[in-house]
Amino acid sequence: MPRVLLIEDDPSVREGVELGLRRRGHEVRAAATGEAGLAALAEFRPDLLLLDLMLPGMNGVQVCRQVREHSQLPIIMLTARGDDFDVVIGLEAGADDYIVKPARPEVIEARIRAVLRRLDDSGPGRPAIEVYGELTIDRAGLTVTKAGRPLTLAPSELKLLLHLAAAPEQVFSRQQLLEHVWEHSFTADARLVDACVARLRGKIEDEVGSPRYVQTLRGFGYRFGPL
Amino acid sequence: MIRARTRRHAAAVAVAAAVPLLGGCGIRGTDVIEAGGPASIQAFVNPDYDMLLFFRSPDGGLNPVVRTTVPSDAVFGTEYLVSGEVEDSGVTEGPVPTEKVVRSLLAGPREKDRAAGLSTSLPAVRAGGTVAVERSSGGRVTARLPLALKGLDSTALRQLTCTIAYSQGGDGKAVVELTGQDGATRSDTCGLDLGNTGNVPTETEPRARPTPSGTTG
Amino acid sequence: MTSGEQRSRVRVFGLRARLLLAFLVVAAISAGTTAALTYREARSALLQTAQDTAVTSFRDRVQQTGFSLPLPREDLEGVLRDIARMGKPHPWVVFAEYGSIRASSGENPVSTVITPELRRAARANPHGSFERVVKDGVPYLTIAMPTVFKAGPDSVLPSGIVLYAVMRMTDEQLNVDALLMAGRDGALPGLAVALIPGLIAARSVLRPVRKLRQAALSMGSGRLDTRIPVRGSDELADLARTFNESTGQLERSVRELREAEERARRFASDVSHELRTPLAGMLAVTEVLDEDADGLDADTARAVRLISAETGKLAVLVEDLMEISRFDARAAELNADEVDVAEAIRKTLQNRHWTDDRVRVELPDGIRARLDPRRFDVVIANLVGNALRHGGAPVTVSLHTEHLGAEAHSPGTAVLITEVADSGPGIQPAVLPHIFDRFYKADAARTRSAGSGLGLAITLENVKLHGGTIRAGNLPGGGAVFTVEIPLHTEEADG
Repeated sequence: MPRVLLIEDDPSVREGVELGLRRRGHEVRAAATGEAGLAALAEFRPDLLLLDLMLPGMNGVQVCRQVREHSQLPIIMLTARGDDFDVVIGLEAGADDYIVKPARPEVIEARIRAVLRRLDDSGPGRPAIEVYGELTIDRAGLTVTKAGRPLTLAPSELKLLLHLAAAPEQVFSRQQLLEHVWEHSFTADARLVDACVARLRGKIEDEVGSPRYVQTLRGFGYRFGPL
Repeated sequence: MIRARTRRHAAAVAVAAAVPLLGGCGIRGTDVIEAGGPASIQAFVNPDYDMLLFFRSPDGGLNPVVRTTVPSDAVFGTEYLVSGEVEDSGVTEGPVPTEKVVRSLLAGPREKDRAAGLSTSLPAVRAGGTVAVERSSGGRVTARLPLALKGLDSTALRQLTCTIAYSQGGDGKAVVELTGQDGATRSDTCGLDLGNTGNVPTETEPRARPTPSGTTG
Repeated sequence: MTSGEQRSRVRVFGLRARLLLAFLVVAAISAGTTAALTYREARSALLQTAQDTAVTSFRDRVQQTGFSLPLPREDLEGVLRDIARMGKPHPWVVFAEYGSIRASSGENPVSTVITPELRRAARANPHGSFERVVKDGVPYLTIAMPTVFKAGPDSVLPSGIVLYAVMRMTDEQLNVDALLMAGRDGALPGLAVALIPGLIAARSVLRPVRKLRQAALSMGSGRLDTRIPVRGSDELADLARTFNESTGQLERSVRELREAEERARRFASDVSHELRTPLAGMLAVTEVLDEDADGLDADTARAVRLISAETGKLAVLVEDLMEISRFDARAAELNADEVDVAEAIRKTLQNRHWTDDRVRVELPDGIRARLDPRRFDVVIANLVGNALRHGGAPVTVSLHTEHLGAEAHSPGTAVLITEVADSGPGIQPAVLPHIFDRFYKADAARTRSAGSGLGLAITLENVKLHGGTIRAGNLPGGGAVFTVEIPLHTEEADG
């Protein structure tokens, strides 16, 4: 069972979520502040970070950025408001997914599983290492290098890139991507995709303004290439 | 409704005001308007040797005619110097004798007078008839005439009265008593004169047409 | 129609027209009166002068003339010609009557202008007299002048000669005409000049009125801070001041109302927010309660399950309240994507597990539209859920497109029409107008249903956010039907 680090300032939510997840077999460590959470990170070594955005002192967005600087730890943010502003800020800071409070433990667990799930390796005939221009994608090792330099991609970014690259030049609608990459329902917030694409482009594209690898087809969605 | 009525009122007032103001543009006719006295003309009457005879004008009134007895001095009246016309007494000082004047009147209008439409109402009288004039006190003049007074119309009587009155000099206001051959007498004044005050009337009240004021017994 | 006619009629007799008319009437009356009075006075003075001059000079001329008595016709004519040469102020024709002699300085010995009245007056009275005669439109002055002569020092006798002068008053006519013209020419420009103060007055009255109208229009369009500049201290300034005071009060009232509404809305939003945090903790442990309830004694288990169930409902209610608050605050955004509508509806039903025969679908493939998938999902889910709860199975969801106002070659406005019909008793007519109201309970006896009471209100807001409309009605055969019409915007995707 995955180890979950929960950073949440409200005691009842912290306790409730901790209790709910533990009952489902997760090993949960709860922290009340961002600082405490970051301190526990090295020692607890969680598989996933469940992060409340509204924290006293160091807030969730700052924690998120700090984690992302050197880690590919999957991050799911908890947002009390579900307001558009919070969601966008959190996603841009590097969160892989978000959950709007209040949420039942089964929902939270479903999201955790979705984020942690590895993509199916597509087809047996596919080579382990694919090269697209300067990009080299190792599906087995789950690493991406650009011009020989390894890139640090968040789990959602890596999954998105692998999904798009698996079918070059095929257009995927945002709904399709939400369903396949995030395992969200068809009706989830499509800006999850947009935020993730923006982050991914920042890491793999030479010019974010005119992307080569992840291209936009306005009104339809995204595709990989053509190069 | 009220507004319409007041507007109609205003229009009526405006029209009522405008009609007398704007009406009668231009020059309109008038009635006869009296304006001052008559014109006083120069007739060159010299009481010393001119005599005034009164003849009948076509409208029935009396018109004075000036006849002079002095042929050489007269500016007018050279036509009058017909032989025999100048009376016997010849040139005398003072007013022309009334008897002579009356004889001239009885002789009737001359051609010149008739040309102006003047005539006489007096009957023709024989040349030999005598006229006796006598002045009495009180400005009364008594004249004995060589004709019968009965049967004479008022114009004829006035001719005689006025001629005798003015031949007496003065202002012709003398009361004249006429006595005919038939013994009848008439007494009257001339009444033609306008100069009661001795001046030309300029602002006198309208006068009635001069008519004989009546006859007496 | 009638109000338009009335309006235009009012415009014809508008304030400006009435003011101008009044000014013109006053100016016309005063100018006309002045002109007419002046004209009359001037005319009579003019004629008086001319007449007096003529009579006096005629008398003078006659008096300077010598006459002999009796007067021969030839002499008379000579005398008349002499007098005629000295006509004043205008040339005159001189006539004379003496006895039976009729003579004149002109061609005709007898004048046709001199009236018998004048003749009679001259004969009757030894006075000069005149008469103004208009003959064939030409005014004449006729003067009669009887003559007298001095028979002695104190004696004045009428000579029997009556002289007449006939003078055309053409010049006087011209002068009078000129006067008339001058009056008219003075009055007309006067009227024109009177228009200027009239226009100024009308303007000074109408400008505030127009400003008032503009201000009222501006207020009507929602700009409650509209004020009119108050100028002067007349009645219109009073009006403007009153208007400003009233608008100020109105603005205050409206602001207070808005603030109260804003406070109420924020309060609802804040309450929802505040409820979320404890609910988040409670909802996280409902599972624990449900699982362990079996091990408790019967009463405790019932209580625990009740708490668990109601917590879930409370969570839904708070979520709906939050959603409504976002709509009220206009914070709701449309994140539109091009979607296959039939597929979207199918997935909505699938996610809610409405896949059995309770819900039938008539969904033609290939209809694509730009929709916010999450909001469209809410719309369909709420309508179907509502139909299942309050109507009756089976519920039919059908989809088609229509071209409203379509012509042969122009597509018109394409709309996506989604209908959700149930097989229940239908909606009571009294309920229909309120069906989309918040927390509206169609059945007063039923205190609370499974829904939050906000489902249809949220549905309405979501449809409106798409620029569409929703209406509720009853099918002829019974059963309620909700029809959603959303404009199709597929052109962007085509390009």
